[in-house]
Amino acid sequence: MKPTVNVLYLPGTNCQEETVRAFAEVGAQPRMRFAADLLSGAERLDDADILCIPGGFSFGDHLGGGAVAAALLRSHLADQFEAARTRPLIGICNGFQIAVRGGCFGKVGLKVNSAGTFHNEENQRHVVDSENDSPWLTGLGGQTLAFPCAHGEGRFDPGTETEGYRVALRYEKDSNPDGSFEDVAGITSADGLAFGLMDHPERAMDREVRLAFFENGVRAVR
Amino acid sequence: MIHKFSVRSAGVAEPDIRELGRSWGLDDLEVWRDYYVEFVDAPDAAALAGVAAVLGDQLDVEVSLDQPLPAGAVQVAYKRGVVDNESDSIITVCGLLGVKARAGKVATGYRSASPRLRDLILSTRFNATIEELHDEEPRYDTLVPQGHYDKAAQFDLRGLGDDELAALGTAGGRNLTLAQMKHVQHVQITLGDEFVTDVLLEALDARWSDHCAHTTWKSLGGLLGRLVQAAKDVGNPNVLSMFHDNAGVWDFYDGHAIAIKAETHNGPSAISGYFGQLTKLGGVLRDILGTGLSADPIGSFEYTAIGEPEAPAPIKGRPDARRLAGETIRAIKEYGNTFGVPMMSSRMTFHPGYRAKPFALGGSIGLLPVEAAQRGTPRPGDFVVLIGGLTGNEGIHGASASSAGATMDTTAVQIGAPLEQVKFRKALIELREEGCMSALTDVGGAGLNSAVGEIGEACGVWINTALVPLKTAALPMWRILLSESQERMLLAVPPEHQVRAKKILDRHMVRSTVIGRFADTGRYHVFHAPDLTEEALIAAAPDAAPVHQGETGFDVAYDLLDIEVERQEVGPPPRPSDVVEWPELAPTQLAGLLEEVVADAEVASQHFADSQYDSTVQGNTWYGPHYGTEHSVRTAYWAGTPVAGSPAAAVLNTAFNPWMFDADPVAATRQMFVSAIAGQVLAGVAVKDICMCDNFYTPHLSPHWREWLVGMVDELAVLVRHFGVPLISGKDSSAGSVQTDEGLVSVPPAVFLSALGKVPHTDGLLREQWTTAGNVLVRVGLATSSPVGTVAARKLGLPVGALDDLELSDVDSYLTALAASRHLLRSGARIGAGGVAATLAQGVLASGIGVKLESGTTESLFAEHRVGAVVEVAPEDVAALPAELDPVVLGTLEGTLEGTGIVLEGVDLFAPAARDGWLNSFTARIA
Repeated sequence: MKPTVNVLYLPGTNCQEETVRAFAEVGAQPRMRFAADLLSGAERLDDADILCIPGGFSFGDHLGGGAVAAALLRSHLADQFEAARTRPLIGICNGFQIAVRGGCFGKVGLKVNSAGTFHNEENQRHVVDSENDSPWLTGLGGQTLAFPCAHGEGRFDPGTETEGYRVALRYEKDSNPDGSFEDVAGITSADGLAFGLMDHPERAMDREVRLAFFENGVRAVR
Repeated sequence: MIHKFSVRSAGVAEPDIRELGRSWGLDDLEVWRDYYVEFVDAPDAAALAGVAAVLGDQLDVEVSLDQPLPAGAVQVAYKRGVVDNESDSIITVCGLLGVKARAGKVATGYRSASPRLRDLILSTRFNATIEELHDEEPRYDTLVPQGHYDKAAQFDLRGLGDDELAALGTAGGRNLTLAQMKHVQHVQITLGDEFVTDVLLEALDARWSDHCAHTTWKSLGGLLGRLVQAAKDVGNPNVLSMFHDNAGVWDFYDGHAIAIKAETHNGPSAISGYFGQLTKLGGVLRDILGTGLSADPIGSFEYTAIGEPEAPAPIKGRPDARRLAGETIRAIKEYGNTFGVPMMSSRMTFHPGYRAKPFALGGSIGLLPVEAAQRGTPRPGDFVVLIGGLTGNEGIHGASASSAGATMDTTAVQIGAPLEQVKFRKALIELREEGCMSALTDVGGAGLNSAVGEIGEACGVWINTALVPLKTAALPMWRILLSESQERMLLAVPPEHQVRAKKILDRHMVRSTVIGRFADTGRYHVFHAPDLTEEALIAAAPDAAPVHQGETGFDVAYDLLDIEVERQEVGPPPRPSDVVEWPELAPTQLAGLLEEVVADAEVASQHFADSQYDSTVQGNTWYGPHYGTEHSVRTAYWAGTPVAGSPAAAVLNTAFNPWMFDADPVAATRQMFVSAIAGQVLAGVAVKDICMCDNFYTPHLSPHWREWLVGMVDELAVLVRHFGVPLISGKDSSAGSVQTDEGLVSVPPAVFLSALGKVPHTDGLLREQWTTAGNVLVRVGLATSSPVGTVAARKLGLPVGALDDLELSDVDSYLTALAASRHLLRSGARIGAGGVAATLAQGVLASGIGVKLESGTTESLFAEHRVGAVVEVAPEDVAALPAELDPVVLGTLEGTLEGTGIVLEGVDLFAPAARDGWLNSFTARIA
């Protein structure tokens, strides 16, 4: 049996296809979960081995990036979302914003980039934290991976939170595109199951880079 | 019951607010968001707290409830008739929290002790056409825009004379000519009706506008037909569809095809840079979605020409160029990024001819199966299904006023809502794959009238405007028909697929309504009947005539709606003959000139804009839009691999230079067309695998404009036939002259060309980045040495004169030799604005490798050899370059950017100051 991945598809999600492709390439069975079907009860969010919240502009980023989607996860889908969080979860870009607002990483924030606007970088470089033993990062510690950056609200702010998250990725020195605290480019939950990052490994042209995190996540549930 | 939630930073202001404060010189600036929510019933405290919690769900944010606008504060909000895009999301959130809301509205509050605050907002953050400014708390009885249904006005034209007909033709913002009004008179007489309605007048005003009917092109002798005939004569087998759908369709590989389209939105962008550009990109993406049985956009491109940023707007009250630039970037960013389509190419030009009415061009390409490439045909009995956004009182007379060069009023501004379009994008693909549509089209210029009228022409159609979902409580029939509310599509859905189609659309949360039916009548029939419900319509027999108690707008046979356009004969265009010479400059002077040239917007980095556009979404971008070790230099072409698992690539490049069109539009057309082809061949595309899209933008009040237009079209036809490169899509805008406070301002007569090519494998594509020190740089290609139209000539203040002629046989020889020599090339960069010198400068910046030049003159360095390239060749291969390439050795790659730069006779032509200018000048002028 191939590991299953529920890819949350919300109005405004726009990175679902490359994300689905990446999971499929590493041998998983990704399937889209439409918000309308989840709300009607026709489908569930928590019936897969992995939950993925891909990038995009869910609900048009209205009321703030990920705000409406997070309200959905915390209200009508709260039980299912809680159940999904007991298994590997990855949130990319807008998916990261949703996961943050959904409470996966304690009380941290992702705010408007320090430049005050969207930033696109075709070849952003990221260094994987060596201390984090999250299943999403297995074997990648210390490596520098280049993949695209494209976001406007990605400035990581931990506030006073210290326990709810662990650093997973940092932007390479002097290349912080959004003003994130201590160059943090991605974090995991304290238990390592949830992984969130603003940038887009699923878009990388280099196959090895593109699939590194997805391969790890899928391997962890085989 | 309306409540107000004010959301603001609890601590230090966010960076964007601090930056705004810095730019305004207001250290104490506060900016916040006010959300107004109209609840269906009075919410309790817990419900209000729940809504506040969602709105304030961010670190260091506080929410206050029902606090009036503080003294000294200024609030900017949409006018009461404009629906806020966030309204739906506010209602959704309230619904999730178990409290019903009817509407939402968002406003921005500003506060500072400075007395300059109000003026700063008015000049930079306020658009009077759609927004209102409050100094005290506004009073809202409801947030739902109000409106009412007026019975259609009736006019008996039978006894009217010319003066009365002419006056009626232009009453109420219409732009119907006397000849057109006489045809309406003829329609009434033919029908034997007692009167015609304002619904018919408005429908025909739009239908016969230049935007929809291309009357200018028809009057000049069927110009489009000349281009189409040239393409047919070529018989390129890659052409799957040209000029009869929303986009042209080009065969790709393995059963896939690519649609290409570019559109302009010049008139609306002059009024509101933000909404004009927003809806420009949205509109062209919708064109792609509405091509064949729907294509999926895989890339977008954008070009904007405006006046010099330092100059004031030539019409009082209009946004100036600097503001248009900022609003353009914000709009392109918000629509393109939200929609999820990679930006392939973007550029902004500053040219005085565009100071009154910009050139706002947006393009897109999309992927679709070959079997879905042909435009669908509705069948009698199919439902007319309207999907997407609500219809509001906006964009009225957009098509006709824009076409006429007329002043557009408040309601001519269209409001873009990208979320609606993102939602139906994938739904359309699913509908296509499930076979649920027999045809579709976008709802764009001239609104439903154009969409229904055009798609229904195949058999006949009727619609009930009372079924159209509105933003307002009600609207008159003609306004429903003419509204250019964005993000709507019209589908022809066979009855047997209606339930399935509805299910797919619901799953994607796309609003859909059956508003009418295609019929075997040959007539276009519009009525307003609240008593004919959607359920009754669906339940009726497919061939049943509509039964209702409503009001008829018109019911006219299509053949009565055709109108003859009076033919205008024009002679050949005047051609300039003055030869302009380059001055001789010493190396130090050349360095100074290069510093000026690379700081010109045509050459300089536009990173400030480019870096705000997502170029990698979809994960298919193989090359471009930037290259180099820092990914900072713009590529001359973009390549993407849109088919999963396939290395086949689509290749896109463009060609446009308004200063050349200023000088000689016909010669410029030739140079631009050939330049685009040469760029494609340099990249690795075979000539037979290239097609193009043309976008004409011409003035309609300047001398010889008709001659130039016809001359450009005829020249294109010659070029299409010669090279076998067809134009498969395009658009014409012939309203580029504007009466301003400074007098008449006209755009250059010009055509923007976008070329689409294909290669079976990315391995065959040549990159631009230099690879190895020690290699030799060689200029190849035809020499176009005239300074006319070059960046350097403008910096040197040289006069305008004749452009170089290009012999097409010489171009053939060059292209053949280039294609055969590509194995000798280590890299290759198309020569563009700024000539060889600018190409070298960008090569140095991209690679970090310096250049030692063998020689250099003003002409050899700054002439823009547009059918040429700078190629990198191993020293041992230089002699192998064929003579047909006309190779000229420029110098050798050696040293580094910091150590060598571009050295000529011991002088570094590309000093640090020049590099700074290249990097920062664009930003300094517009940001």
